[in-house]
Amino acid sequence: MQPSYLKVFLTFARNSLVRDMSFRANFIFTCISSMAWAGMNFGLFKVVYQFTNSIGRDSGWGENEFFIFLGTVWLINSLIQTFCMANMERFSEMIRMGSLDFALLKPIDTQFLISFPRMNWAQLPNGMLGILLIIVSLNALAAERGDNLYLSIWNVLAFVFFIACGLCVMYSVMITLASTSIWLGRNQQLYNFWFYITNFYRYPMEIYQSGTIGWTLWGTFTFVIPILVVSNVPARVLAQPLGTPWQRWEWGFASLAVIFAIVSLLVSRFVFRSALKSYRSASS
Amino acid sequence: MAIIEIENLKKSYRVYQKKEGILASLGGLFKREYREIHAVAGIDLQVEQGEFVAFLGPNGAGKTTTLKLLSGVINPSSGSAKVMGFTPWRRENAYRRKFALVMGQKNQLWWDLPANESFRLHQHIYGVDPTEFKRTQDEITELLNVQHLLGQPVRELSLGERMKMELIAALLHRPEVLFLDEPTIGLDVVAQHNIQQFLKHYQQERKITILLTSHYMKDVAALCKRVVIIADGLIQYDGSLEGIVDRFSSDKIITLQLAETESFDDFQNLDDVIEIEPPKVKFRVQRDDVPKLLSRILASRNVEDIIVEDPPLEDVIASAFSQVEQNRSDADSLHAEAVS
Amino acid sequence: MESLGLTVRPVTWWHFFQVSVNERLVYRGDFILGTLMRFLPTLTQIFLWWAIYDSVATNPTAVGDAPDTQIAGFRYGDMVAYYLLVTISRAFSSMPGLSSGIALQVREGEIKKFLIQPVDMLGCLLLQRIAHKLVYYLMATLPFALVFFLCRGFFIDGWPDAEILAVFFVSLILGFLLGFFLEACIGLVSFWFLEVTSLMFIYMLMNFFLSGHMFPLDLLPTDLQILGIGPLNLRIVVDFVPFKYLAYFPAAVFLGKVEGAEMYQGLAVLVFWVMFFIVLSRIMWWRGVKRYSGFGG
Repeated sequence: MQPSYLKVFLTFARNSLVRDMSFRANFIFTCISSMAWAGMNFGLFKVVYQFTNSIGRDSGWGENEFFIFLGTVWLINSLIQTFCMANMERFSEMIRMGSLDFALLKPIDTQFLISFPRMNWAQLPNGMLGILLIIVSLNALAAERGDNLYLSIWNVLAFVFFIACGLCVMYSVMITLASTSIWLGRNQQLYNFWFYITNFYRYPMEIYQSGTIGWTLWGTFTFVIPILVVSNVPARVLAQPLGTPWQRWEWGFASLAVIFAIVSLLVSRFVFRSALKSYRSASS
Repeated sequence: MAIIEIENLKKSYRVYQKKEGILASLGGLFKREYREIHAVAGIDLQVEQGEFVAFLGPNGAGKTTTLKLLSGVINPSSGSAKVMGFTPWRRENAYRRKFALVMGQKNQLWWDLPANESFRLHQHIYGVDPTEFKRTQDEITELLNVQHLLGQPVRELSLGERMKMELIAALLHRPEVLFLDEPTIGLDVVAQHNIQQFLKHYQQERKITILLTSHYMKDVAALCKRVVIIADGLIQYDGSLEGIVDRFSSDKIITLQLAETESFDDFQNLDDVIEIEPPKVKFRVQRDDVPKLLSRILASRNVEDIIVEDPPLEDVIASAFSQVEQNRSDADSLHAEAVS
Repeated sequence: MESLGLTVRPVTWWHFFQVSVNERLVYRGDFILGTLMRFLPTLTQIFLWWAIYDSVATNPTAVGDAPDTQIAGFRYGDMVAYYLLVTISRAFSSMPGLSSGIALQVREGEIKKFLIQPVDMLGCLLLQRIAHKLVYYLMATLPFALVFFLCRGFFIDGWPDAEILAVFFVSLILGFLLGFFLEACIGLVSFWFLEVTSLMFIYMLMNFFLSGHMFPLDLLPTDLQILGIGPLNLRIVVDFVPFKYLAYFPAAVFLGKVEGAEMYQGLAVLVFWVMFFIVLSRIMWWRGVKRYSGFGG
């Protein structure tokens, strides 16, 4: 009988929830603290928009549009933290302790098996908060534009689709980083690196589009480690579908999101497999 | 046809030689020195279906590496192995569904969850039919007498209970071949005994093939008819447990009980006296010399009782290991001389 | 015997100090790279604020023309300089692991060794912290200097005069002491409540928002309407709590945002807060130890 990947995935989800619930105080604390950080973030931009009505000249990122962007970032962050982060840390730990052996014995794809066993449900409320912020801001935006129906179901579907593409990219970057711990043994710096580069995708890409350094950063985080695409494409789909008409380059940018999702998944799969090969021939 | 066939299997590692000091470590960035370690240096072995084989050997002898090679966790440097017709390191799912590996030093159950949650996960990963899964789980938990512990988080279980759960997890998909790497390490005598009894029963009932490594002679004596001694990455012995004594020890131990009138003084001077505790004396004798010596003693002394026995197995194996060790260091020093 | 105790003491302290320094030097690997990466968030801030200033400049209601556009009295250069300076104040005032370390020692009973040996725990911890910070500065000077050199253009008015520089350095040192004793007090709460994680979290959150770590406090609204309460002047609120001395104050002094009498007034309040938390931590330690021995650990 073949294993059912869906059933295994659901069992992972269930088991993680059971585990989280057995440490209830910790669970609630994590929920509250991650939501409080989000609140701080919100406060910062409330303060900023006291002094300006847009971030970036003629960029279209007015207060409501920007909070849609922020909500999108919270949503992506929360999904990554719920489904990926703990597993990547655990994967590095498994390499160090040698318990990766067990994963290799199972009659199921190894990458799948190490990618999803621990889900950190306490990080999910933050994503809900993101969705809430998006809905509230969309409402305000609709009122501002005097058009209640400026969004169609297609915008929402496209949003979901591009979020999925973004998650693929983020997952690939993370698993690639984690795989390197097979070669490097320990990669504390790499995790810091991860936290620092995600700093760049928290803002609309327009802010980087000036000067040599700005355009270099923009290019690097669009084409090399495509994290700007991850947050900007879905946020744009919701926040600026009619405000600034989609030009041809924006369609190009959106299709980049799809291409990057596929390419990064393939690359990460390749890196993971090569890393496993060295694990197999090196471990004792 | 044998269920496990190993031919000239080798596995060596390159280990990076770290140097002391900052300058030396900087140098290590550019020019690294490696040392070759031959964990498995050419093993040939055939195991028939239904056998229960023990691997004995000092630490670092290559036992665990052999088990890992057979489970496909690591790739060999050269040589071949077939288990149930599969080459392990191809890691075909068809093969992975038919065997299991249990390691006493590592656990695969979820630490914070009750064991039955981990079992359910295994059911889905191995794609076991639900009714069959239920039957197997009930049967094995009853045999190991841990039904009442299934709902308790694994971290709250004792070491012995945890090991039992690990065994259950490994057997849920009814593997035909089982690799056990020191399954009783660190357990108390009762838990050890329980697990031995279970393994014995289960293996006889199901006629599965088991390879076991252990440091405890009691495990081996209770379970395995066939013993393979591995040291230095090579098989030093393959045969019955009793045969080890014949192979590695040419001694017998004689215990005499003398009449109270006898003096023990002349025994004191013998080289191979183990202990003198009047009216008994215990000493070691070359096997060939036993008849001659005994007849001489019987002729000259007033003996009330005689016991002639093999030296204890632990001692024999310990001395066998140290023999191998000795040979290796001799070889090393020879090698060193040749180099210099 | 009393005199012997006095002569032994400085030697013991010196020895302890050396051990702490060595302990820290072990972790020097990857240090420069790690410090440089710490400036990456500042890099995004530079771009974010550029975009904000850029859009304010084109807004007809905005104050001033493009190069002189101001937000709450900060020109663009000031704003970036502010974030850079705050990394320095934080390098002095942040005490990673101090309160959780104390809480752990109380919980695990390690605190006993300070009750038995004639050593003062807070003194030990302070010395250890000074050692760690010194080693940190020693190694961080190079990457910090590099970043500040590259960003020198943002310091529009150049170096402030000697008086301001002196007050800047004094406020950094006092900020270090304030951070230390404030966090020590939070850790010492564990004598009464074993679980101080949530308290530490609240502190961290307040610190982040009210210290000026996230943005200059001058940006805070003066008439906040929240839950029907208000108007609330947040800028007055931050003047009444000690947090602003952990990040905002030294940077504001350097940039000339607080001057003259106001500057010395601020310094005096800072001294008051330091004294306050020194005394508070002493009292908490005495009472805590009394309570601890009363319960027999």
